[in-house]
Amino acid sequence: MKLNINKQRSLWWGVSLSVILAGLVAMGISWQKYGAPLRPGLDFIGGTRLQLQRDCSQPENCAKPIDINAVRQVMSERGLGNSSIQLVTDESGQQGILIRTRTLNVDERTQLQQTLTKEIGAFDPKATQIDTVGPTIGQQLLSSGLIALLVSFAGITVYLSLRFQLDYAIFAIVALFHDVLITTGVFAILGLVQGTEVDSLFIVALLTITGFSVNDTVVIYDRIRETLKISPDLPIDQVVDNAVNQTLGRSINTTLTSLLPLLTLFIFGGETLKNFALALMIGFGAGVYSSLFIASTLLSFWRERTSQPQNSDQLSATSDQ
Amino acid sequence: MQKQRSLLALIVVLIIAAIVVIVKFPVPLGLDLQGGSQLTIQVKPNEEIKRITERELEAVQTVVENRVNGLGVSEPVIQTVGQDQILVQLPGVNDPEQAERVLGGTAQLDFRRENAESRAFVNNRQQQIQGLIAEQQKLQSAKERDEKAIAANNAQIEAKIKEITELEAKLFERTGLTGKNLKYAQATPTQGSNWSVALEFDAKGGELFAQLTKELAGTGRRLGIFLDDKPISTPVVGQEFEKTGITGGRAEITGTFDFESANELALQLRGGALPVPVEIVENRTVGATLGRDSIQRSIYAGVGGLFLVLIFMVVYYRLPGLIADVSLVIYAFLTWATFALLGVTLTLPGIAGFILSIGMAVDANVLIFERTREELRAGKSLYRSVESGFYRAFSSILDSNVTTWIACAALFWLGSGLVKGFALTLALGVAVSMFTAVTCSRTFLMLAIAIPSLRKPELYCPSLPASNKAQGAT
Repeated sequence: MKLNINKQRSLWWGVSLSVILAGLVAMGISWQKYGAPLRPGLDFIGGTRLQLQRDCSQPENCAKPIDINAVRQVMSERGLGNSSIQLVTDESGQQGILIRTRTLNVDERTQLQQTLTKEIGAFDPKATQIDTVGPTIGQQLLSSGLIALLVSFAGITVYLSLRFQLDYAIFAIVALFHDVLITTGVFAILGLVQGTEVDSLFIVALLTITGFSVNDTVVIYDRIRETLKISPDLPIDQVVDNAVNQTLGRSINTTLTSLLPLLTLFIFGGETLKNFALALMIGFGAGVYSSLFIASTLLSFWRERTSQPQNSDQLSATSDQ
Repeated sequence: MQKQRSLLALIVVLIIAAIVVIVKFPVPLGLDLQGGSQLTIQVKPNEEIKRITERELEAVQTVVENRVNGLGVSEPVIQTVGQDQILVQLPGVNDPEQAERVLGGTAQLDFRRENAESRAFVNNRQQQIQGLIAEQQKLQSAKERDEKAIAANNAQIEAKIKEITELEAKLFERTGLTGKNLKYAQATPTQGSNWSVALEFDAKGGELFAQLTKELAGTGRRLGIFLDDKPISTPVVGQEFEKTGITGGRAEITGTFDFESANELALQLRGGALPVPVEIVENRTVGATLGRDSIQRSIYAGVGGLFLVLIFMVVYYRLPGLIADVSLVIYAFLTWATFALLGVTLTLPGIAGFILSIGMAVDANVLIFERTREELRAGKSLYRSVESGFYRAFSSILDSNVTTWIACAALFWLGSGLVKGFALTLALGVAVSMFTAVTCSRTFLMLAIAIPSLRKPELYCPSLPASNKAQGAT
């Protein structure tokens, strides 16, 4: 198999642009609906999430199925009518409820739990999960996450410009933005379609994607540099095509070996890690695509337009170092 | 060959050491895996203390530590975060609500004395109000309603009530006897299901209390016990204490306590009062059963992922793939041992980082083996192909790992608690993989090549042209 990377440049770019565009449209709609490009989770806007499960070791406690309307009733009596309430069933068939509401303090929460206990039965404290995030903490988590993202972008740019020439580094960063945009775009769409929310782990996923996706790009650039060193007179198109094809097996296999554990994490990982694994899978997929088809073609596109002889001079100069 | 042997010996020693470490030092589990509560306490400025400095934060931390110890949680973690937050981790806590209530209050106890003049004034005003109300009723039921008079009367009543409420704040004056003068506090049962909080003062507190009660005894003026500026009990001191006051340095707060609330107040008082108000701004509580489920799921995911990668490598890369698999298993052991040695607390995202690093750990081997295949196809001998595979892939391996480290470093310095765990495990994993994927794989491959029956190029690269096979074997 040999891919004609540069000949079908417009196709590769078109595919990427349309996915990114779809994502941007979804982000725009989300902005209208939720006031943020992605549907923000508890971590960022604050609130309380209660996950309660009945204690079925007590006799008669789980005899009746949970009546979600009774739960709704309790909530609206307490002025929490606009909370989201969900029935959840785990693998063993036990029913529980998941409540997402505004930030409740300890007294409000205790009272709510007591009333719910009266209505639908005693809960098992060992199977209870409580997450309460104050609004200020949410802001803090969001801003520290975004700063981390920017810092790692900057760090990677600096490192790549030290290791390669500046134009390599710039296109690697373009590819990086591409991967992050595609991942956020897909999650914006998921947020609209099935209400997927993003939390701190999503930012972690984005950061991991930035660290990882640039790998493939670096390997291909490494090869381009090496080929140019050996035969500086080869047209850049061909050098890039060769480099991509020579490293193709590696790019695909590395992505595969990383996707396999993520797949098991997605299947077995439970609620918390599911979306995390999904974000990483999308990001890694976009990452290998952008390395093969975007970063490489952008580089040859750029080098075609800048004068050739000067380029080979530069390259031989760097190779002497 | 000598070099290979000593490297092999080193690897064997490392594996044995890793196993010993894994057995001897268990990796501590985070709260999301073992169950428990994590609370973030925000320390807030008040009128007196406008800015939270290190001193206030430390004072709050000490009080929080005292109270947490009173809760009887084993191995709690209490640390300051940033300039004005304290993070409390309570593993296996049974009653997270209690913990939140106990840690969330300032618990400033204050003994105050009722001011005689104010009392008299209030009494006087109350009597006047009674009179006005009686007049009002008369006006209302009169045959000819004088709306003007009713309105005037109402305004008078309101003005008096306002006076009283204003005065009530001054009704009790501070005496200098506060929670600071306490030696001990304890919940004790009284009649029925009622509970009270028994207090024991220190020497100075005992004196002040005796003095205060002596002054108030028999006067009908009340003693005000205030918690965080709200009266919780306002008893009258009996005439029998007129001579000496209540001596012995003991007192009891009765009120509307049940066992829980009495116990919580006693706990707070024993721990001391907080100098500034606090608020619990984040609470993450995970039940023990849920934590156990998470561990199980993670084990499935981790083992499943590892197996898929192992199978993939051996199917695709043959003998080198098998060697990469051995390195990968060594990698898993060494990384786990590193976690144990460094005392990395394993959280759910941390496990995710570890599982992810399994996939990334073979990346280096994939790079090397692809390079080796290329060299073989180009007609080089087996030994030289392997050598140059390792040599030439190294710069790519380093580059790709450094970029991952940059992202991890950003996460580690700037991320929150949960996120830090992920960054740390991923970064450590990548570091260990540099050793296992390069040194271990290389040593094993070189040893394999030394065995004549394994010196067949087709074990390294399927579908090699026939002419190359002959060449490669030499």
